[in-house]
Amino acid sequence: MTAILQTVFDALSLGSLYALGALGIALIFGVMRLVNFAHGDVIAFSIFALLWPSTDVVAAVVAGNLPWFLLIPFVLAMGAGLSVLAEIVVFRRFRNASPATMMIASFALGFVIRYFLLMLFSSRPKSISLLPALSQPVEVLGARIPLLQLITILTTIAILFGLTAFLKRSRFGLEMRAAAENFTMARVLGVRANRVIMGAFALSGALAAAIALILGSQTGTADIQMGTNVMLMAFIATVIGGLGSLPGAVIAGFLLGAASVAMQVSLSIDARPFRDAFVYGAVILVLIFRPQGLLAGRGTKERV
Amino acid sequence: MSNRPSIARRTLATPLILSLLLIAFALVAVAAGSKPFNQTMIDIFLRVTLVVGLYVFVGNSGVISFGHIGFTCLGAYAAAWLTMPPMMKQTLLPGLPEWLIAVQLPYWAAAVLAALWAALWAAVFGKILMRLSGIAASIATFAMLAMINTVYSNWENVTGATSSVVGIPIVRTIWPYLIVAIVAVFIAWGHAISRAGLKLRAARDEPTAASASGIDLPRERLIAFVVSGGVMGLGGALFSHSIGVVTPDTFYLGLTFTTLSMLVVGGMGSLSGAVIGVLVLSTLIQVLRWLEAGVSIGTSTLALPNGVQEIALGIVMIVILAFRPSGLMGNTELNWRRAKTADPGASGQPE
Amino acid sequence: MLSDVTIRYGRLTAVRNVSLSLAEGEILFVTGPNGAGKSSLLRAIAGVTPPAGGRVDFADHDVTGRAPEDIARLGLSMVPEGREVFGSLTTEENLLVGTGMHAKERNWRARVASALEEVYETFPVLKERRHGQAGLLSGGQQQMLVIGRALMTNPRLVAIDEPSLGLAPNVIDLVYERLIALRAQRALTLLIVEQSSTRAMMAGGRMILMRGGEVLLDGDARAMGQSEAMQAAYFGYGEQA
Repeated sequence: MTAILQTVFDALSLGSLYALGALGIALIFGVMRLVNFAHGDVIAFSIFALLWPSTDVVAAVVAGNLPWFLLIPFVLAMGAGLSVLAEIVVFRRFRNASPATMMIASFALGFVIRYFLLMLFSSRPKSISLLPALSQPVEVLGARIPLLQLITILTTIAILFGLTAFLKRSRFGLEMRAAAENFTMARVLGVRANRVIMGAFALSGALAAAIALILGSQTGTADIQMGTNVMLMAFIATVIGGLGSLPGAVIAGFLLGAASVAMQVSLSIDARPFRDAFVYGAVILVLIFRPQGLLAGRGTKERV
Repeated sequence: MSNRPSIARRTLATPLILSLLLIAFALVAVAAGSKPFNQTMIDIFLRVTLVVGLYVFVGNSGVISFGHIGFTCLGAYAAAWLTMPPMMKQTLLPGLPEWLIAVQLPYWAAAVLAALWAALWAAVFGKILMRLSGIAASIATFAMLAMINTVYSNWENVTGATSSVVGIPIVRTIWPYLIVAIVAVFIAWGHAISRAGLKLRAARDEPTAASASGIDLPRERLIAFVVSGGVMGLGGALFSHSIGVVTPDTFYLGLTFTTLSMLVVGGMGSLSGAVIGVLVLSTLIQVLRWLEAGVSIGTSTLALPNGVQEIALGIVMIVILAFRPSGLMGNTELNWRRAKTADPGASGQPE
Repeated sequence: MLSDVTIRYGRLTAVRNVSLSLAEGEILFVTGPNGAGKSSLLRAIAGVTPPAGGRVDFADHDVTGRAPEDIARLGLSMVPEGREVFGSLTTEENLLVGTGMHAKERNWRARVASALEEVYETFPVLKERRHGQAGLLSGGQQQMLVIGRALMTNPRLVAIDEPSLGLAPNVIDLVYERLIALRAQRALTLLIVEQSSTRAMMAGGRMILMRGGEVLLDGDARAMGQSEAMQAAYFGYGEQA
């Protein structure tokens, strides 16, 4: 029983990361059909913003000593800020470009961010202690799980509810949903394109920073590569969820987390290293049977 | 469509010009004669092979594939299996079947087999993947790449998992690489003017009209996928001989994006674009490497900090794409006369 | 309003050197066969497809090449062809999408509320379905929705592409009745694209006839209906086909 509960918590917390990542990617995809390959590097950047440039193994933390109620907004602002900057400096020039061109441009941007970090910090992962209070275990229904795991899940749920409320209730959310569905029509109705797109980038960047905080506290390290894996799974989740569909992205993120953990538990020892290969195989199968994604709604079909 | 010989004659200039361009590069390398420069040339020819292989599918179908480096991985390991001394395979890769451990082929024969091996897997994956289109197809190819990487990174006694497989015979002269690059260019050209290639490009430019006129899109895509998978495998085989060592991560995201970027910067829709993209970005990379190593100006040495090379490369790519969204060549091919549009109507459609 | 406007899609020229002006409060029908360039004209005015040449003026501003949202904020409401409802939004949300542009003005909330009431009064079925997904509305209901949506921001000019497409005749009557009443009430200027000229002749007002990207005729709708030239323009006899 406790083992099952443990597995469920593992699945939920892994799924949370994927869901937050997928949401960040789907938000931007929705408003400008950009598959943002720089997302993983925004994640890494948000955490490195806390550190003082050096190539030592133990990081000289500058902003990391802030109390949590300042640290968290600081990191979120870093992510959002970088993301908005990327839109203003780079992506604005690609509004009319093809999705392929935009995708490569975003990759190039990610490349620039990654090597910028590399230049300042070197490629060695750095140990940091971020919110150390969170690594103690707590007992939930007999299962001992790290407090952080619980907080990850709860935060993700809170973020999801908050974001849903924001998108449903606020004027900005309304404009963003309209723009995500039919960008040109929203503009014809007077919705300001730049404002909506900047808002989407800011939200997406803040979500990336939230992932960075969770990953940083989980692993105790800051690594230039830390965003890549989450980003890859997040892409896949976005597609499975039906491109541009925000609820779809979230659900697919949790599904992927669950699938990964389920395979980890159920595969034989010999096959376990190949876990991800099975997950990717399952993804291909899903796409074959539901090319529009598992959860594609009426409004999210690709236009011909 | 009936007069293929005339199409061939009209377009033959493109592969010829590109080949001459590559030969000119090779001659420069020989004239320069320095060893590191030799290696640089080999890298360039390898990239030409890979990017041209990628073009065969991506350029003609318009579907971005992230998975092709997976075929390069398959080709590279196949070449390693076929050319390593049996003794080393016995110790490093004991999981290989007996006959494969015993065999040791010359590198060129192994390269041909490696290409066929990659093409075979392209056929298997393609059969499934080619039913998809658009972004779903792109992400599925991504999943395929990740799958191949996961398998090769973990299958300890067949691939050596993440540790390097060493002992692959190294080929140091540039000529085989030059020949393979030229062969790749001619394969791409041959496919492009074949019935399958023409149909595929028609479907890329006018999807509705093409499906109305009965083009079997999955089939045409599959043909391109297999041909390009084979070329990627060939490139992979040569890749392994150029450095003598393979690891799964050599053939993963880094190489995927280098090759894709070169293709997009050069111009996805044209074979000349594929080659030009490699030559332009490779030259840029080389110049930046020199600057990083330090350039003597008078008595002082000016050296850029590490990482500037990649940052500058990324910025240049963004700038090129911002000003020429369809790449340096757009949809045009090099020809004896001034560049002329390869496929009219491919650019500037509404929407 | 338009001077010497040319619109191209790639190598295809959809509209060739068209000049056109509209007086305040006027009703103008743009008619013509398929491919005449009617919709392209509308898209140029709204800023969706910037013209390749020429100049577009609206509300005393040169709006050539300006962003669609800026033109909308000057008081243009465009209803494009093909009922572009936001399918995943509710009916009411669809109506509210554009209303943010006046958010800084006084009494904004009250004005939005009364505009909403007005639309619901005109199309009661929309009120019934106000919280339902707009994508689930029938074709006719969606058409009412996009027309209602265009009226929400108290525009100076409403430009509608094929308002009668796919609607039942009695609904078309209702739509036109309402548009013409509104025009009288608020001094609204109307630009209506219709493939068939019958409706224009019935409603009266000015009409232009386009073909092959050019304006062939410009005049009173009712008078034009009788003319021979009209028939010729549609069916192409007497000219090169």
